[in-house]
Amino acid sequence: MASDRIFGLVVAVVALAYIAGATQIQTSFLSDPVGPKTFPIMIGTVAALAATFMVLKPDPEPNWPVLRTFGALFFAVVVLVLYAFSLKPMGFIIPTAITAAVLSYQIKPQFAKAALSGVGLSIGLFILFKFALDLGLIGFPKSWTS
Amino acid sequence: MRKNFFKTFAIAATLSMGAPVIATAQAAECIAPANPGGGWDFTCRQIGKIMFDIGAVDKPIQVTNMAGGGGGLAFTNVVAERNEDANLIIAASTATSTRLAQNAYAGMTADQVRFVGAIGIDPGVIVVAADSPFMTLSDLLEAVVADPSSVTFAGGSAVGGFDHMKPLMLLQRAGLTDITTVKYIGLDGGGDAITQTIGGFTQAMTGDMSEIVGFLTSGDVRALAVLTSERVEGFEDIPTAIEQGYDVVAGNWRGLYIPRGVSDETFDLWAGRLQQVADSDEWAEAMAANGLAPFTLVGDDFQAYIDNLIVEIRQMSIEIGVIQ
Amino acid sequence: MDIMSNLALGFSIALSPYTLMLAVAGCFLGTIIGALPGLGPSNGVAILIPITFTLGLDATSALVLMTSVYYGAMYGGRISSILLNIPGDEPALMTTLDGYPMAKAGRAGDALVLSGFASFYGALFATIGLMFLAPLLSRVAYQFGQAEYFALYLLAFCTLGGMASNNQAKSAIAACIGLGIAMIGYDSRGMPRLTGGNLHLFDGIDFLVAIVGLFAIAEVFFFIESHGKKSSIGVKLDKVRIPWKDIYATRWTMFRSSVVGFIAGILPGAGASLGSFLAYMSEKSIAGKDGGFGKGAIKGVAAPEAGNNAAAGGALVPMLTLGVPGSGTTAVLLALLMTLNITPGPTLFTDRPEVVWGLIASLLIANFVLLLMNVPMVKIFVKVLMVPPWILLPGVTMVSFVGIYSLSGSYFDLLLMVGFGVLGYVLRKLDIPTVPVILGILLGGHMEDALRNAMVISGGDFMYLFSSPIAIGLWIAAIVGFVAPMFLRRFLKKPQAVTD
Repeated sequence: MASDRIFGLVVAVVALAYIAGATQIQTSFLSDPVGPKTFPIMIGTVAALAATFMVLKPDPEPNWPVLRTFGALFFAVVVLVLYAFSLKPMGFIIPTAITAAVLSYQIKPQFAKAALSGVGLSIGLFILFKFALDLGLIGFPKSWTS
Repeated sequence: MRKNFFKTFAIAATLSMGAPVIATAQAAECIAPANPGGGWDFTCRQIGKIMFDIGAVDKPIQVTNMAGGGGGLAFTNVVAERNEDANLIIAASTATSTRLAQNAYAGMTADQVRFVGAIGIDPGVIVVAADSPFMTLSDLLEAVVADPSSVTFAGGSAVGGFDHMKPLMLLQRAGLTDITTVKYIGLDGGGDAITQTIGGFTQAMTGDMSEIVGFLTSGDVRALAVLTSERVEGFEDIPTAIEQGYDVVAGNWRGLYIPRGVSDETFDLWAGRLQQVADSDEWAEAMAANGLAPFTLVGDDFQAYIDNLIVEIRQMSIEIGVIQ
Repeated sequence: MDIMSNLALGFSIALSPYTLMLAVAGCFLGTIIGALPGLGPSNGVAILIPITFTLGLDATSALVLMTSVYYGAMYGGRISSILLNIPGDEPALMTTLDGYPMAKAGRAGDALVLSGFASFYGALFATIGLMFLAPLLSRVAYQFGQAEYFALYLLAFCTLGGMASNNQAKSAIAACIGLGIAMIGYDSRGMPRLTGGNLHLFDGIDFLVAIVGLFAIAEVFFFIESHGKKSSIGVKLDKVRIPWKDIYATRWTMFRSSVVGFIAGILPGAGASLGSFLAYMSEKSIAGKDGGFGKGAIKGVAAPEAGNNAAAGGALVPMLTLGVPGSGTTAVLLALLMTLNITPGPTLFTDRPEVVWGLIASLLIANFVLLLMNVPMVKIFVKVLMVPPWILLPGVTMVSFVGIYSLSGSYFDLLLMVGFGVLGYVLRKLDIPTVPVILGILLGGHMEDALRNAMVISGGDFMYLFSSPIAIGLWIAAIVGFVAPMFLRRFLKKPQAVTD
């Protein structure tokens, strides 16, 4: 109940912001009868209507995980974001090993196996890209090798 | 092919993935400013392959795809970072000059690179459905001049693109004063534009020769005019616009540019190599297979051609309001 | 008819050793992906697309590889349904109903081979149907102007939305999220929109980023939440032999189910899950109470597999001829085509016959390869079920990251992908379907252009949208497709949301 209402409300607000953003779109003076604003405004309107409906007639509450699992999910997202940023400066092997190990541990909390699968995946995939596929992937930070 | 085959098998069998390819900078490089499969990619791969096959270069030319901004990403990259790279060529076409004329490359201008030459052209055409009441180009153009809302043109490029420009150039010669009243819709490629015209949803199609060949053979469409100075070999029954009294020559040329900062010797070297490709049998075959007509313009002549083209497209774009 | 000469052209392409090898590799990989619980055809194809792209495969090869994966996954889905009572993917859901009881009764091998043959039957039927029907549909295209296309896109959203969720408002929101994302970046007339001045957004959001995020990364979050459900094979796999008697006994079941599945597949938005559902339900009612359905009936194994594989083939018809995907997986395949600069649609058959007929020929080949692979090698595929999720899912994540990273080399796309993963998790938790999101991102630009072009032609007269019988028919079908499931649901108890 509450989840649907909250989500509906968020969508409604975003939809209104979207419509507001769409009205700011510049029109070139070579304009067609419809123009660049109309369709985005239509989408925003439909979304806002559907969201209102969701707020008024919500479905039963889904099975949300316990708070601790939410923490784990949030942590996973943070790790993935850090991974995205580290791929270029840090090379492939180390960030991949750490990220894969963390995810593995989160799916099944067994320290040794997780570490092993992280290292294994990282090195295995690296060998595959680098040698079997002949693709120029950087293994370690550039400062280490030069 | 063989190498690719093993690569693919290895990949498929082990659920693995790709990675950014880092090109080695020894051999010359050709940048195709689009994804694999399009016209620019074709230009790079064909010209690169033929240059190596006929011995104009001693190492195979590496092709890099740099898609983004309709070629703008590659253009900016060349100007900003590789201005003196003598080992670099970039595929170009009419779309390059159109976008430069319309200032679509974030303020970049045509004089920031050097245009080496064009070695083939896909001639512009104006087509109507087989059962259309318009029998000649004049019929069509006069109908538009009399009532612009009676005819919609369909083309494979966006509004303001080169397919849009072709009927506008013709209509200007036909005496239409307000060309903004001309109705044009841009679709996903010439095939879609022809389908709409055969279906009777639009009254005429503007495109390139290579796009209409199949439909001409099947008899679904009639070509009212080809926009070349002389009739095209193999399609002698299609009259040119010029012989019908409208002085317009427009086609989608395929060629190359190189960075501005290279020496005149380098420019001449690439111009010479391109000329060799233009004269080769391999290129003649490649053109025939892809519906291109011969159009060789290399070196300083080509630069002059580009400059004129850009001035004309810019004026027209200002008139219809694509740019200010 | 020139179908034969076209087919000859197709085989001349598909029978090259290289393409053949791709088909074998794709079938093998696809079966594994389909068999793994949690990974279905949509996920499999989504993760692999960036890779075909970086490999620089030409259009035909890439298409052959991915459709082999697609068909393979459709075959593979039944394996875990039968052995684990967990559907490998959504369309294999119905197969658990009789497949698992049959396996528990000691006939696991027979169930696997019989369902493999049913899959073959359904897929072959659909491929032949595609061969005859697709060229006809492409002639119909001359009747489709901009107004008709606009109505057609609307129909795709309405029927997919109607089928995909139990709540129409949620489907509409999903579609709007996708359409809204599609508007970001330059429009077709060169005006930048809704970018917030962010340079990364001027070219729009790459649909591959969205697809991989919504399908693959979201899946990882679900596994973290559930800590990788225990999966162990509860039934014994006895000797594998060919149960000729059962195959003969179910011959009409397979035929009827193939017809039902194929038709369900052609309808835009219905897809393979509906195909298997309808096939199972109609066979069940034909057999009556004494049919033993639900207790390990052989017809209950054959019907859904023939149905879902026929639907998978049928879904290719609207995707290729009209550019409107009939299911989640074909939406992903449509994304692949667009990346390869191929615009599906009526002109595909005249412009790129080598792509279409090469594809059809390789589908035929893939079918035979899959049949041959699935009888003797079924034990190997069963072994794959042992790969624990704590290795599999991190692997999937890494593949997704490098695949997307290799497209643009930008961390921005990776962040977007993670964002789409979170979005996918939340949407699925709230029972909001993700497939309309993908459809919106894919079709948004086209839909808007159809509307704008129609208005250019008509000079701004909105009545032009309803000016032809075809357009009016499509509008009515769209409204019915959206509204009807609401009423149907009161009479029919649906087993589960259909999202394949």
